[in-house]
Amino acid sequence: MLPENLKKELQDRIAAVDHPRELVVDVLFALQAHYGFVTDEAVEEAAGLLGMTPMEVDEVATFYTFVYRRPVGKYVIHVCDSVICWLEGGRSLQEYLSQKLSIAPGETTADGLFTLLPVCCIGYCDRAPAMLINKKVYGPLTPETIDQLLDELREAH
Amino acid sequence: MIKLIIDNLRVEVPPGTRVIDAAEQAGIMIPRFCYHPALGAVGACRVCAVQVLEGSCRGIRMSCMIEAEEGMVISTTDEEAVAFRRQVIEWLMANHPHDCPVCDEGGQCLLQDMTVSGGHGRRRLPVKKRTHIDQHLGPLVVHEMNRCIQCYRCVRFYREYAGYTDLGVMGSAGRVYFGRRSDGVLESPFAGNLIDVCPTGVFTDRPSRFKGRYWDFERTPSVCIHCSLGCRVTVNTRYREVVRVEAAHDPQVNGWFICDRGRYGFPYASSPQRPRSARIDGRKSGVDEALDEAARRLSGIAQRHGSGSVALAASGRVCLETLGALTRFGSEKGWRGPFFRAGPRTAEALQSASKNLEEKISISLKDIEKSDFILLVGCDPVNEAPMLALSVRQARRRGAVVALADARSVQLPLDARRLALRPSQLTAALMRFAGKAVADGGAALSDRARGFLQACRDSRVDPAVDEQIDHLGLAARESRRPVVVCGTSAVAPDTPAAAANVARLLAAEGRKAGFFPVLPGANALALGLAGRTADHGAALREALEKGDVRALVVVETNLSELGFSADDPLLENLEALVVCDCLDSAAGRAARVFIPTQTVFEAGGTFVSAEARVREARPAFRGGTPVAQVSGGGHPPRTFSPDIPGADPLPAWQVLAALAREGTRVSADTLRKALPAPLCGAAPGKRLALPASAPDAFQPPEDPATAADGGLEVVVCEHIFGSEPLSRRAACLQELESAPRLGLHPGDAAALQLSAGQRVAVDCGRGVIEGEIEIVNEMARGVLLVPRLRGIDWHAAADGPLVVAVADIRSVKPNGES
Repeated sequence: MLPENLKKELQDRIAAVDHPRELVVDVLFALQAHYGFVTDEAVEEAAGLLGMTPMEVDEVATFYTFVYRRPVGKYVIHVCDSVICWLEGGRSLQEYLSQKLSIAPGETTADGLFTLLPVCCIGYCDRAPAMLINKKVYGPLTPETIDQLLDELREAH
Repeated sequence: MIKLIIDNLRVEVPPGTRVIDAAEQAGIMIPRFCYHPALGAVGACRVCAVQVLEGSCRGIRMSCMIEAEEGMVISTTDEEAVAFRRQVIEWLMANHPHDCPVCDEGGQCLLQDMTVSGGHGRRRLPVKKRTHIDQHLGPLVVHEMNRCIQCYRCVRFYREYAGYTDLGVMGSAGRVYFGRRSDGVLESPFAGNLIDVCPTGVFTDRPSRFKGRYWDFERTPSVCIHCSLGCRVTVNTRYREVVRVEAAHDPQVNGWFICDRGRYGFPYASSPQRPRSARIDGRKSGVDEALDEAARRLSGIAQRHGSGSVALAASGRVCLETLGALTRFGSEKGWRGPFFRAGPRTAEALQSASKNLEEKISISLKDIEKSDFILLVGCDPVNEAPMLALSVRQARRRGAVVALADARSVQLPLDARRLALRPSQLTAALMRFAGKAVADGGAALSDRARGFLQACRDSRVDPAVDEQIDHLGLAARESRRPVVVCGTSAVAPDTPAAAANVARLLAAEGRKAGFFPVLPGANALALGLAGRTADHGAALREALEKGDVRALVVVETNLSELGFSADDPLLENLEALVVCDCLDSAAGRAARVFIPTQTVFEAGGTFVSAEARVREARPAFRGGTPVAQVSGGGHPPRTFSPDIPGADPLPAWQVLAALAREGTRVSADTLRKALPAPLCGAAPGKRLALPASAPDAFQPPEDPATAADGGLEVVVCEHIFGSEPLSRRAACLQELESAPRLGLHPGDAAALQLSAGQRVAVDCGRGVIEGEIEIVNEMARGVLLVPRLRGIDWHAAADGPLVVAVADIRSVKPNGES
């Protein structure tokens, strides 16, 4: 169930625009922030708020890489697998991350801390090979900087 | 016309024609996956690439995305174009499984054809194929997502064309998934078309699984007889059994699609319960013996009590040949009937719909798609004539205004303006609408038309709704192609005539107006034109009670449609009950003489659709018990005999000829010619020659406003699955039937102190209807909805809409006590 204040806030935002469905991504992000990921229930709630069918909302939700339809860890690592990062050795970095965290792409570590998701070009080719962790960009990366970063995040936790 | 050259052939096409269609007209079939004439072009699959040699856009182009231009030169055989298409096939095959030998689409697969003809055979891509988890989509359609090539035809049909929302496309790039949010039955009653539109085997037919391969089937052009629209279908048979029915293309009627009732309604023909041998007094006999015995008994009764003591009963599912036999032998022998419909109200409604269809205002389903204003009166398209709903939707997609005047909460796959009105209010509402829709009397109108217009302007319905009707009328003023669609079961008897008159009035004003009736049964229009209004079920009942009728011949008719219950005591009083049918029915079991008849798949037949189009079904196979039933499901029997087991059934018209002692060698042609005009001139594929003007055109109804106060009008509602007598026997459709509940408006339920789920018994005079109450928000007040479904004894209200007093409704406990 959505808390009343969040529901009210979203309703107000929706009421202020001409075409409610233009806010579908914003609503999904708000629900994702609340639930941790976009649950089946969240899709239905978004549909109800926006006057869309749940199927229509799900089509958008499943389309975008940054809308998570399955549970994710506390830190979501989006490692770029596009061409520039690939030229700079991004593939081996992804393999290094997998090995270091003992998870395959798409999986979450057993402690629930890290989720590894490959992503198509994040627009930081100047810092290739690059990755995003919870929307913050890191790069150029080496195995050493990755080790350091993961340790810092574990400690911060 | 535009002239262009495709592969060195000169082609002439109208402006706006796509190159892919222009080529098809010249006999060149350019490969395609995503392009479909009904769904339009999206340029998604890239397989229709051609080389444009001359024209405004030279080079490799998608032929579905470019329009033909004057002087254009196109090559489909150009080396670059061929290489491009071969490349496309190769990448579409990158993820497609090599399961053709076990795939149900095999042999009927566009991708298979294209891969083979494109020459692709060796995989060069050294990676694994992507896989998906399939969903269970219900009893009709099997899902196998791995075979998908992302042409988007399924969602374009399901969502855009048909207007249902539970199937969609999820994910992106290599993860694109076509399906529902979770497993579950597809909600659209047009879902079977996914099987036809999918160019590969993602959606395949579940009921015909493992019953044979495409090339094993004999394919026969036929017509669907599960409603009055007469959609064209292809019947697939194998081993003396109808295995599958597919949509056949008909540009004027059903286009490329059919509904699921039409697609899956056929299993009655091969049901193990289907009676295949004749019976005399409960004892099995040969058909010749039974025919002799029945003819002897009928002539004996005619001699003792007069020829009028023999009566005939028929329904909208008899074909034109059988109707001809009923008419000819009935009149030659002096037998009564054929009796049809339940009583005076339903008989009059059918006849006022049939006899008012005239040349100027008669239209096709295709015309409905092109109309700009559609008024649906007392008609529930999805449940009564499903493909009509899709036609109305296409008009709505093009911007037409759709309005709905009905007692029921009619569900449509489109947004429509709603007027919740009782059946008794519909005639007056229609007239009031016309009074507003016609701007001024004008000199164009004849005196009679002007008289009708005046009656329209004087028409009042109810102060609460008059204003809404006026708004609707004003909205229709600007329309150039208005259409009035009128049903016959949830209307007053004179509503169809009023609907036709409204269309006439709009046409007299110079617009291209149309009238489209929705009728009960595949051949109901013919029955309405050939039958006499006075010969209805209630009149038959009276004649039985008086003892005027001693023998009844029931021909391919469920007596419930004539208002009789299965165990009606009146039937026991008959000296002879002769039933000729292809279905196992209560009347058939009670018959003194039963004669099995052939289904439309064996006998063929001609039917006249609601839009007066003559439709022919050809015999698909010779008949007989399906091999699977003879063999008990194993190997076909190894014993041989010259005759086909279970092939006793005869065409109903031959049975009638034998009963009249005319021999069975009567020709179908002469029987059709025995019918009154215009039916006698029926030529398959053509429309009936309709009268230029109906005799009582512009006749205002006698008493337009007859609102029933203090009682409830009982409306029997047809459902898409479970109502129609033939398709309700299909096991796969029975899973989709709605629960049988009696519908009440919340206001009426409160006034009657009834709540949802409560059981009530409603005394309809001739019988009691019992069932659970359901509160229906969008329906009209003052109405009780009775579903025509198993579990509800609806026949007592068959001659609807009838009025019951509040005192006739009492609540009962589940065990039947008051």
